[in-house]
Parts: sequence; C-alpha cells; structure tokens
Amino acid sequence: METLLYLIITLIKIVLIVVPLLLCVAYLTYAERKIIGYMQVRIGPNRVNFSAIPGLRKIPGFGQPIADALKLMFKEIIIPTNSDRFLFVIAPMLVMAPALAAWAVIPFSEGGWVLADINAGLLYILAMTSMGVYGILIAGWASNSKYAFLSTMRSAAQIISYEIAMGFALVGVLMAAGSLNLSDIVAAQKGSFLHWYWLPLLPLLFIYFISGLAETNRAPFDLAEGESEIVAGFHVEYSGMLFAVFFMAEYANMILISTLSAVMFLGGWLSPFEGIELLLGENWFTALLIRASFLWLAIKISLFLFLFLWIRATFPRYRYDQVMRLGWKVFIPITLVWIVVLGVAILAKIPPWFA
Amino acid sequence: MIKITFYLFALILIFAASRVITVKNPVHAALFLVLAFFSSAAIWLLLQAEFLAIALILVYVGAVMVLFLFVLMMLDINVNSLREGFVRHFPIAAFVGAVILLEIILVIGAWHKLPTPEAATALAAVPNTQALGMVLYTEYVYPFEIAAAILLVAMIAAIALTMRPHTRAKYQKPEEQVSVRREDRIKIVKMPSETKD
Amino acid sequence: MLENYFPILLFIIIGLAIGLIMPILGFFLGTRQPDPEKNSPYECGFEAFEDARMKFDVRYYLIAILFIIFDLEIAFLFPWAVVFKDIGLFGFVAMMIFLAILVIGFAYEWKKGALEWE
Repeated sequence: METLLYLIITLIKIVLIVVPLLLCVAYLTYAERKIIGYMQVRIGPNRVNFSAIPGLRKIPGFGQPIADALKLMFKEIIIPTNSDRFLFVIAPMLVMAPALAAWAVIPFSEGGWVLADINAGLLYILAMTSMGVYGILIAGWASNSKYAFLSTMRSAAQIISYEIAMGFALVGVLMAAGSLNLSDIVAAQKGSFLHWYWLPLLPLLFIYFISGLAETNRAPFDLAEGESEIVAGFHVEYSGMLFAVFFMAEYANMILISTLSAVMFLGGWLSPFEGIELLLGENWFTALLIRASFLWLAIKISLFLFLFLWIRATFPRYRYDQVMRLGWKVFIPITLVWIVVLGVAILAKIPPWFA
Repeated sequence: MIKITFYLFALILIFAASRVITVKNPVHAALFLVLAFFSSAAIWLLLQAEFLAIALILVYVGAVMVLFLFVLMMLDINVNSLREGFVRHFPIAAFVGAVILLEIILVIGAWHKLPTPEAATALAAVPNTQALGMVLYTEYVYPFEIAAAILLVAMIAAIALTMRPHTRAKYQKPEEQVSVRREDRIKIVKMPSETKD
Repeated sequence: MLENYFPILLFIIIGLAIGLIMPILGFFLGTRQPDPEKNSPYECGFEAFEDARMKFDVRYYLIAILFIIFDLEIAFLFPWAVVFKDIGLFGFVAMMIFLAILVIGFAYEWKKGALEWE
C-alpha cells in the first residue's frame, strides 16, 4: 500500500515536470518563429488564434504550436522501403527518453524541489546527454537513405567532439563547487550575483553554451541538416509524429542546456538581489525579489533560450572542418588551461569564490 | 524488493547478452550490447556503486558503443562472409573462451572474503564519488598515473593505425587569415606618371 | 541511496513511453496510402539503385577512438574535481602529471594532423 502511494506520488511529480516541459517545447517553437521573424522584420506566425479565450485573443498566432501539433498528428507516417522498420520506429524514442530523463535531477527551487536528489547528479546528466547520439545514429542508419546516412555520420562525429569540451567545462564547475549534486552546486554559489560561477568560470560558460549549440545541432552548427546540401539531415525520411518526436527532443534538449547553464553558472534559483533588504529595508517588494526563486531560474533559462534564437538569427553556418577545428583545437585546449588555472586559484583560496 | 529488481535486471542482462551473439544483424547485436550494459549498470546500482554504474553508462554506452556502431555502420559488413569461418575457427574460439573462464574463476577464487551487501551499505554513508576520489589520487596514485600512460599509448596507437597522409588536403589557417595585414596583400608602387611628349 | 534512483528509472520509462505513444497516435490518426514512389528513399530526382550504407572516411573512426580516450579522461577528472578541496596540493600535482601525459598525446595527434579536416 505504501509502495503504491509512493509510486503514485512519484508519477504525479514526473507528470508535473513533463507536462510543463512539453508545453514549453511547444511555445519555444512559437517564440522562435516570432523572435526570428521580428529580427528579420517579418511578423512571424499570426493567423491561428484562440478566439474563444478572451485573454489570449489579442496575441496573434498564439495557437500556432497547437495547430502544428494537430497537423503532424494527422499526417501519414511513411516508412521507406528497404529500411530497418523496427529501428526506424524506435529511433525517435531513443532521442526523446534521455532528453526527458535528464530532468529528473534538475533542482527547480530551494529546499528539495527536485525529483531525484542523487549525489552523482552531474555525472548522470553527462551520461544522459551522451545517450542522445544513439537516436541519431540509428535513425540515419535505419532509413537506408544516402542523405540521412551522410548527415548522421557528420552529426555524430560533431556531437561526440563537443561532448569532450562539455565534459571538461563541467569538471571546472565541479572543482569550484566540490559536489556532483546540482542542488549543492547552486547552494555553493550563494551570495550576490558576483558570487555566481559565471565570473570565475567565464571561459567555461562560453564553451559550455557553445558546445550546447553544437550538441543540439542548432545554428550555426546545424550543418547536419544544412538545407542546401543534405536536405534535412538524419531525419529526411521521417514524417508525421515520428518527425515530431525528433523535433520535440531537439527543443527539450535546448531547454535542458539552458537550464544547466543557468544552474551551474548563473546561480540557478538564487536571486540576483541577495542582500537588497539591507539597502531598501524589509518590505514586501524586497521579500519578493529574494524569495521568488523559481521565477529567477525561469528568467535565467529564458535568457539562455533567447540567446539560442538570437544566435540562430545572426550567424552564418560553419563549415565542417571549421566545426571540428573549433571543438578540438580551440575548446579543448582552453578548457584544459582553465582547469589548471582554477586549480591554482582554489589552492590559493582566492576570495570571494574559493575562500 | 531489491531481490525482485535484481532478478529482473539479471534476466534482461542474460537475454540481451545472448541476443548479442545470436542475432543476425551486427547493428542489432551492438544495440543489444548497449541494453546489456544498461542492465549491468542497474545491477551495480543495486550494489550501491553509484559512481561506477553511471561511469559504466558514460564510458561504455556513451563512448565505446558509439565507436562500435560507427565501425559497424561504416564498414558495411557482409554478414554471410563472416559466418563462413565459424566451424573452422570454433576450436580456437573455444580455447580462448575456456582460458577466460578459467581466469575469472581464479580471480574470484583468490578473493578470500567476498564483500557483503552490508559492507557496501555501510560505505554508502559517504557519497561514492567522494570515497573513490579520496583514495584514487592519494593512495593509488601510481596506478592512476599508469592509467594515464596506457591512455597515451592508446592514443598514439590509434593515430599510428588509422592515420593516412592526406594528399589533396587543403587546410585553412584562420590565425593567418585574421592576422593578415594590408602590406601582405597589396603593394603600393610609386612610379612617375607618363609624360606626354 | 537506491530510493533516489527509483524516480529516475521511472522517468526513463516514462520518457520511452512518451516517445512510443506519440508515434502510435500518429499511426492511428494519420492516413495510410502507401505508394512505391512515396516510400522510396529520398534521392534528389533519380531512383535509389543501391544500398545507401557505404564505406566511410577512416577519420571518423579516429575521432571516435579519441573520443573514448578523452571520455575516460573526463571520468577520471570527475572524482578528482569533487574531492579537490580535500586532497589539496598532492592531488593537484597528481592530476597535473596525469594531464601532462595526456597533453603529450594531444600534442602528438595535433602535430600528426589527426585533427585536420579538409
């Protein structure tokens, strides 16, 4: 009986994470089209509205993601001849599962707002993100299409290259925080916003975020799907809901990378106005500024997500040799040097971060 | 509860491992191997070996099997030609298998007292990764440095075995492109203008 | 410790389930009108006449092998970084030697041109 209750409570918790996440994924696509639209002096999606709901009627195109989801649901799923049918169907699942499962260890707010408070949190995240490459490999191979196969090999090589830089960047965070537990990492950054790790780990923040762009195959590293050369990349042959799962996993991964950047480098749920009550006195406003922990995390995540979109609208696509060069010859040396620098800084107990 | 979980994962592990060697398609076999690694990681977790379990997934599933899949997918292996030598190679393979089995038995036999689950639980008070780190870089520092040397050998061997000189490669050197100055590209020559005579 | 991993197992199962349910929904709701032309793999105009799986540049293997080695290195760095503040200078020097040995390998592959792509 008790086990059953525990099971149900855990399931409810998981649903409470997954459903908002999938909604965020849906509206991230809307935000992307809208923001890039405005950056290119267009309006973006503006036809599908929730005309029945008074508050939302005014926002043009707000129903677009729902309409897209419905459309994809009724599209035919084409399974190409000569493909490996079983692997073809299972590949999107293998991309989706790690993209979602990594959220189990993300702390959302102070005081244990995390599904699984494990000691090896960051290691688990690294393991889960390294699983994402399977879906891509299998999808490209199972399709038995030249375009998909070429793109798969490219993007798999790209993803594993950037995973190294990513792992080294995480090592820097671990050195500073001294724990693999994500809640502890956030707690270790307590203080004003100058205490957050973005300052002592600035190069690692850049490298982590840019590697995140490469890991999720986003622009300017989206050469796996370079429209002009290999059509859509590893998922050329996918249609309907199978394609939708790939698409959602990509966006879920974007949100995951943004969240991790916020948690590890921008102090997670910590308020940037820590100690403001000394300045303005204790009233409801300062209390709100300090206590609104989840809100701060959400703002920081949105900041990074906006960067994702901004970068896509700004930079031209890299060439393949440039991508590999950046990963191996620029990022790995910088992270290695920074680990040494950090080691010296921690041994010297440089305040305020390592005192 | 732990027993049920153990037998569940053990069954999955045995099933996956036997499929690895019976399934026809090499890519499918590799994927079954991934499943096998997953279930063994779960079993390690049941033994409270948190760090090792996740490191197993990170290193074997996340890296080694990716290489396997790369090779299998790119080599485009003809399965039938692989099957031909089965009978001929069977004696050698059986011999190697027997030697490995013997070695495993010897290792387990040499282990005077097997660690009990209770001992593992007592250790679990200290987070796994910390406990490992506290001894690996101090007490076991020589094996640790030897590991580095082995990795170095692996790296150099990999390059020596797979590197082929590129004949028609054209490289771009961004550092040179960026540091180019006007004087490198154009030369301004002063010369008298032609006179009309 | 184990009770912390149960939600993770459940989460992975749910993740797989979501990835499975959505295509199943698509199979039920979507139309199905197979056609030999539609089902043939994408080939930019001409017909697919051979198996798409082909032999590939050896450099991709090299990248994968180097990735394993660096991944192992990261696996060694993780516990070190966690206890770094406790093991102090001795641990720091031990890891610097470890990294120095691997940097030699890294420099070697750099010089050999293993990281070059054309």
